[in-house]
Amino acid sequence: MGVIRAEPARVTDWAAKSVGAAWRAFDLQLTTYAALLVAIGLVMAYTNSVEDGTVPLSAGTTFSRGLMWAGIAVVVFVLTTVFDYHWLKTLAWPLYGFQLGLLVLTLAIGDGVGGSARWVAVGPLTFQFSEIAKILMIIVLASYLASREGKLDSLASIIGACLLVGPPLILVMLQPDLGTSLVFGGILAGMLWMSGASLRWLVLLGVGVLAMIPIAWTYILRDYQKERLTSFLDTNPDIQGAGYQLHQAQIAVGSGGIVGKGLTNGTQTQGDFLPVQATDFVFATLAEELGFIGGVVLFTLFVLLLWRVLVTGWRSRDAFGTLFAAGVASMILFQLVVNVGMVLGIMPITGIPLPFVTHGGASLVSMAAGLGILQSINIRQTRAAW
Amino acid sequence: MSAFLDERPRPIRSVSRFATFGLIIVLAVTGLIGRLFYLQIVDGSRLATLSVQNRTVLEAIPAPRGLIYDRRGRLLVANVATFVVKLRSADLPVDSRPVVVARLAALLKKDPADINATIDGNPGSTFDLVRIASDVDEATARLISEADFDLPGVEVAVEARRQYADGPLMSQILGYTGPVNGDQLKVLKDEGYLPDDLIGKAGLESKYEAELRGIYGSESVERDASGRKTQVLQTVTEAQPGDSLRLTIDTKHQEDAQKALVWAMRKVGIKRGVVIVMNPQTGEVMALVSLPTYDNNDFARGISNAAFKKLLRNPDKPLLNHAVQAHYPPGSTYKLVAGTGALADKKITPTTKVLTKGYLTIGSTKYYDWNRQGFGACDIYCGFGHSSDTFFFQMAGKLGIDRLGYWAKQYGFGAPTGIDLPGEVSGIVPTNRWKQAALGAPIFPGETYQAGIGQGYDVVTPIQLINAYTALANGGTLYQPQIVREIVGPDGNVVRPFEPKVLRDMKVPGSVLAVMRNAARSTVTLRHTYNLVDLPIKVAGKSGTAEFGLRDSKGRLPFHSWFVGFVPKDEKNGSFDKATSDLVVLAFAYDSRTKGNVATEIVKYYLQLHFDIKKDYRLPDLLKRGNFYQSN
Repeated sequence: MGVIRAEPARVTDWAAKSVGAAWRAFDLQLTTYAALLVAIGLVMAYTNSVEDGTVPLSAGTTFSRGLMWAGIAVVVFVLTTVFDYHWLKTLAWPLYGFQLGLLVLTLAIGDGVGGSARWVAVGPLTFQFSEIAKILMIIVLASYLASREGKLDSLASIIGACLLVGPPLILVMLQPDLGTSLVFGGILAGMLWMSGASLRWLVLLGVGVLAMIPIAWTYILRDYQKERLTSFLDTNPDIQGAGYQLHQAQIAVGSGGIVGKGLTNGTQTQGDFLPVQATDFVFATLAEELGFIGGVVLFTLFVLLLWRVLVTGWRSRDAFGTLFAAGVASMILFQLVVNVGMVLGIMPITGIPLPFVTHGGASLVSMAAGLGILQSINIRQTRAAW
Repeated sequence: MSAFLDERPRPIRSVSRFATFGLIIVLAVTGLIGRLFYLQIVDGSRLATLSVQNRTVLEAIPAPRGLIYDRRGRLLVANVATFVVKLRSADLPVDSRPVVVARLAALLKKDPADINATIDGNPGSTFDLVRIASDVDEATARLISEADFDLPGVEVAVEARRQYADGPLMSQILGYTGPVNGDQLKVLKDEGYLPDDLIGKAGLESKYEAELRGIYGSESVERDASGRKTQVLQTVTEAQPGDSLRLTIDTKHQEDAQKALVWAMRKVGIKRGVVIVMNPQTGEVMALVSLPTYDNNDFARGISNAAFKKLLRNPDKPLLNHAVQAHYPPGSTYKLVAGTGALADKKITPTTKVLTKGYLTIGSTKYYDWNRQGFGACDIYCGFGHSSDTFFFQMAGKLGIDRLGYWAKQYGFGAPTGIDLPGEVSGIVPTNRWKQAALGAPIFPGETYQAGIGQGYDVVTPIQLINAYTALANGGTLYQPQIVREIVGPDGNVVRPFEPKVLRDMKVPGSVLAVMRNAARSTVTLRHTYNLVDLPIKVAGKSGTAEFGLRDSKGRLPFHSWFVGFVPKDEKNGSFDKATSDLVVLAFAYDSRTKGNVATEIVKYYLQLHFDIKKDYRLPDLLKRGNFYQSN
């Protein structure tokens, strides 16, 4: 008679195996590239704080706030990684409502420059909810399109996606924040493309958007928006007026040369010639102080990061994962091109942050959430890695 | 394991769509790198130059302003370092302007309205500094420079300001400097004037602006976007200090002149007066006092709007130099012109006797002598000595208005003397042509009479009148009066030495002027001027009582008093036959209704001080309010 040995299951073993498997599936590269970009952002925040003439680590400087937000971003990243992304599909509709709520709240109580409503004060912090709205939009769109798997080449899918993006886009436009609403458009385009939407309808949609431009130009855009949108096209710009920022930014970039003037040595930055150098024009500071080499390093990091994001999308066993990755990649690429292009004078001036690098809490936190969800997708695929 | 996987639907991923997306990423980043390459490497050197230009600008180095000394080398104007508060409106947000202005006003103890007016009156652009306050004390300057955060756009700088050693004593001569205004700046910008620059506004500070200012240097400085100087890179050209002035004015004489004038004005309650002392052999002005006056140090410290308006509102015009910038009827002092003319044109000889009466009539109008009895038959010595009006009515009548005008112009009336003070006026010498042009009618005979005794249309500046008597005293040379003797370069070398400037050698025989000098002496010896003859020095001269304005209840007109006197070189024993005098003194008292001639008392007192005469000959009784004119 044998003795049946009843042994309790070894929970620790299971947990260790599970964590080990998760760790093997975790995309270390993706996180590394993002962390390096954030580090570059902090270095820029440091050099801009030096420019302010303050001790960089003292409270309230761009640098110390950047550090604080980076800390928050790490927490958000870890939480979203641990969170099972499958739940997001279930939560999609509540999240959509939450997103619209945030944007309506911004319009109602937000502050901004010159009568606009962009930031909402949460305790001592100001928060740009439209940044959070972008990542929520990606979740909602991904789950909508995933739910229509198999019918994605129909016109209905495209129209449905457009209808979903419409309300938040309009709410952001009302703030008014033209740049962020364009990002919504970029996300929509990128995700529809990757969903395999019918090319015919996509082309038609593109033509429709182009046709809308003159109408928007006449009836929706305000004069200052038009001025900013077109000032980069002006061959003989008013360098003391509307073209001042652009002119100074190009001087900053150009005077950087191959290796740059060295950190904290940028005369354009330190001399305060560059407006909003800590936020939207941070690339100008980077190009001035770190030069062409610094710029190429930054671009390389972005390309590597985008590659890893697309790899995550490719590896995903479900449509949601693929589409979510496509949305994040579209958002990063769109913002990179528009932000850097603006500094380099080949894109209109729109207030779009440079992902990870721009100091700006909400942007960094929403990027961290995006990466966290991507890692969540990575570690919840049972198939071997690419 | 694989079976489990295969039962799930194929993901929607499509190689072509992923590849296209990847291609877009590569193309987009390549485009950005290409543009970056173009800006940083292809166009880099041009933009690098722009970045250097961006922060280096040429900035002016103000030159130390020239100093001013009196004729004995006493320093009258010095430059002292003071704190000034300036504001660049471009750095002052519109919303916070009221708060910042209010804070500044409280710190500087100024009226916020004044500060706002200064900011709005800024002649330059909003990027230029505006001077808000000068001569700020050190404690306040420190407070303001440390409160950087609460006072955006406000800067404290150290600048030289003028310090006038004697204040009101010399204000009418030296003048003051003040902020350059918009109209001036438009013209002077090309000469290197800065929007927050100072410029001579009155007196010698204004007249000799070009010499005193010097030549501003320039330095290339590094600045930030808001224009703040971050460091000086190099001095491009050194500032060249302005030239200094050495005046003909003697502080001692100036003090004596002021003392004499103030004494009489206080005693009588006269509101305006002038004393001028000149050397008739050179045209040098040794003292020039015009009262009321102001303290030019108030301007140097930055006068408040209220104080400036108060000066402007004062009916006796303290900002006006009454010696050169105002003209008044000369009264009997003008009889010099008619007397000289009648002798020179041979209408009379020195011995010709003319009957003087209580009045002369033209048509139905009576022209009264001040003495209603007349003086009987009078030669020039008697007529001039007693200042007989009817004598000079007849002289004027013999000459006619145009010859009278000719001789007036020979003495320098009707034209600026060219004294080196700003704003000199010409006075009026009536002639037929003048009256036709000005009033559209010829001169009437009665007007010729009036012109002969310095009434009617005749108006002169005190400097013209004393200058006419210097020509009498020196034998017929009309000099240009000068206040600045020499201009001295910053190295101490004389840049412009003193040289008398002759306006005209009068077309008159020396003998005629000798007669007129002795006639002027008879004014004193005939005791027309009371005890002036008792002074231990010899004085010749002429008093004048010039009516103006409106008649009082008794039909009497108010009047000004004049006296111009001169003494021979040997003041104790000299004779007036020779033209050796080196001292002419003029006194003018505006609206001085007294029993006697105040101006004569002023000159007498001045001479006592000048020659250090111990005994006091002044007759205060004559300074009692009264009116020696009868009603007529």
